[in-house]
Amino acid sequence: MKSDTNIKLPLAFIIYALIALVVAQVILFFNSDLLLAGQFRLPDIWMGAHFLLLGFAVMIAMGAMYQLVPVAFLTPIWSQKFGFLQFILTAAGVTLFAVMLGFQPAKAIYGGILAIIGIILFIIQMVNTIRKQQTKNMMTYFVLGAITSFFLTIIAGFLLAWNISYGGIVSHSSILYSHMVLGVAGWFTLLIFGFSYKLVPMFSLSHGFSMKWAKSAFLTYVIGLVFLIGSFWFGFVYLETLGWILLFLGFGFFVLDIKEILAKRIKKKLDKPFTFSLLAIANGLAIHFFALVIHLIGAENPIIWSWLIFLYVMGWIIFSIMGYLYKIVPFLWWTHKYSEKIGKEKVPTLKEMIDEKLSVVLFVFLIISVIGLVIGGLIQVGLMVFIFQGLLALTSLVYAASIIRVLFV
Amino acid sequence: MSLERKVGAALFEVIDPELGINIMDLGLVYGIGVDYEDNVEIKMTLTTPGCPMHDSIMNGVKYRVGQLEGVGNVHVDLVWDPAWNPGKMSDKAKEMLGFG
Ligand code: HEM
Repeated sequence: MKSDTNIKLPLAFIIYALIALVVAQVILFFNSDLLLAGQFRLPDIWMGAHFLLLGFAVMIAMGAMYQLVPVAFLTPIWSQKFGFLQFILTAAGVTLFAVMLGFQPAKAIYGGILAIIGIILFIIQMVNTIRKQQTKNMMTYFVLGAITSFFLTIIAGFLLAWNISYGGIVSHSSILYSHMVLGVAGWFTLLIFGFSYKLVPMFSLSHGFSMKWAKSAFLTYVIGLVFLIGSFWFGFVYLETLGWILLFLGFGFFVLDIKEILAKRIKKKLDKPFTFSLLAIANGLAIHFFALVIHLIGAENPIIWSWLIFLYVMGWIIFSIMGYLYKIVPFLWWTHKYSEKIGKEKVPTLKEMIDEKLSVVLFVFLIISVIGLVIGGLIQVGLMVFIFQGLLALTSLVYAASIIRVLFV
Repeated sequence: MSLERKVGAALFEVIDPELGINIMDLGLVYGIGVDYEDNVEIKMTLTTPGCPMHDSIMNGVKYRVGQLEGVGNVHVDLVWDPAWNPGKMSDKAKEMLGFG
């Protein structure tokens, strides 16, 4: 099945996203003093965080879904034209929203509304596409769970932005915590789970695996989300404990399946960027475990939680995406440029389209900067935060360039 | 060389772009048939259903075989039964993947 998606659509998302990644890291670099203070709820950090999460991670997820949903679900995209409109509105909205969060938070709601319209169009597009799928499988449920969380995230985001502009909505902090959990854990984690069930076997050439934990992983994780979010509203501490336990267990079930898929793989020597995405899964499991432990020992220090969220976003979500992009972009470009030439002339393999050696160097720098940042932040050494955020910004720049370079192969 | 053999040899030049190994060594080709008019029928499979490279590989097969002298129509019959499994790979492919 050839994915009929016009390559310009996913590429537009990906190129915008790579620019947003660099912008986000540079903004965070210029505000490393605020990072040091563990003060993440300030305009400049809001701006950096939303360039990173909405501008980079969400835009990549959208671009990748335009490409992957048709092949994985065997249904064409509902409407391509609508897709381009959706791209323009979302890109404009996200940019406006993030910039205004930084400079004029009281007016950010206007950019926010535009971003929300773009995102809702995306959700309509995906729901209409998935509805056409003949037989639903576990992946469908992960993706639907992710999309539902995404929708709730932006509704919560709207209320937060409204409050910053006009005030008047009580329980701001409950909304904020729900927004963060739904956004990073509901939307991104469920989405990465779902797509990993397709991508990990494909990139490791695995055969005869069972996926026997997928259903438990899904249900446990979703119930964990519900409990954790419920605890923000009802204040029962057991609900929160139970929530963290279930989230950790749900993640663990997913890891069991991935372990089986890898054990049954035929390709023994995995590509380096893909290995990096697998490392992100290990990070994700460890971070869920830390969160549970930090909750159980009753640590209330907001600095610890701020850095844990940072680790969650970088070590699990952003690292996963960065590894997969080294596969997704060459695949897109290969299909566009070489699929007609296979059998006619020598065409490169996907691996030959990237500089794998450079990718390893970049991944090592990414790991070093994230570890350095977290340690610097926790032991409160300003110079460390400054240096490692600088390294992260620089590495992101070279990373973005190395992905865009594929388009010139 | 018979036309079947020529077709088989040509298919060694069609490479799976994800794995970098040709489709013959991967064991994706189940059979090559030639009728009295030299029309060629190739029965083959792919490693995974829903593989995004499907069309590219099948078109590659058609094109490469169509280039051989004396070949009539080329038809590729994509089958999923029997399913591909790693045992169908040649030793060379296994070695390239570090398997076995
Ligand atoms: C998947 C998408 C999103 C994710 C993962 C996400 C994640 C986050 C995170 C982690 C924070 C805390 C960051 C900090 O305090 O610096 C935050 C805060 C915030 N988000 Fe989002 N967000 C998303 C989309 C949105 C959207 C679409 C809007 C608005 C239309 C929005 C509005 C806000 C606002 C106003 C805050 C600041 C609230 C406060 O600190 O009082 N977010 N978001």
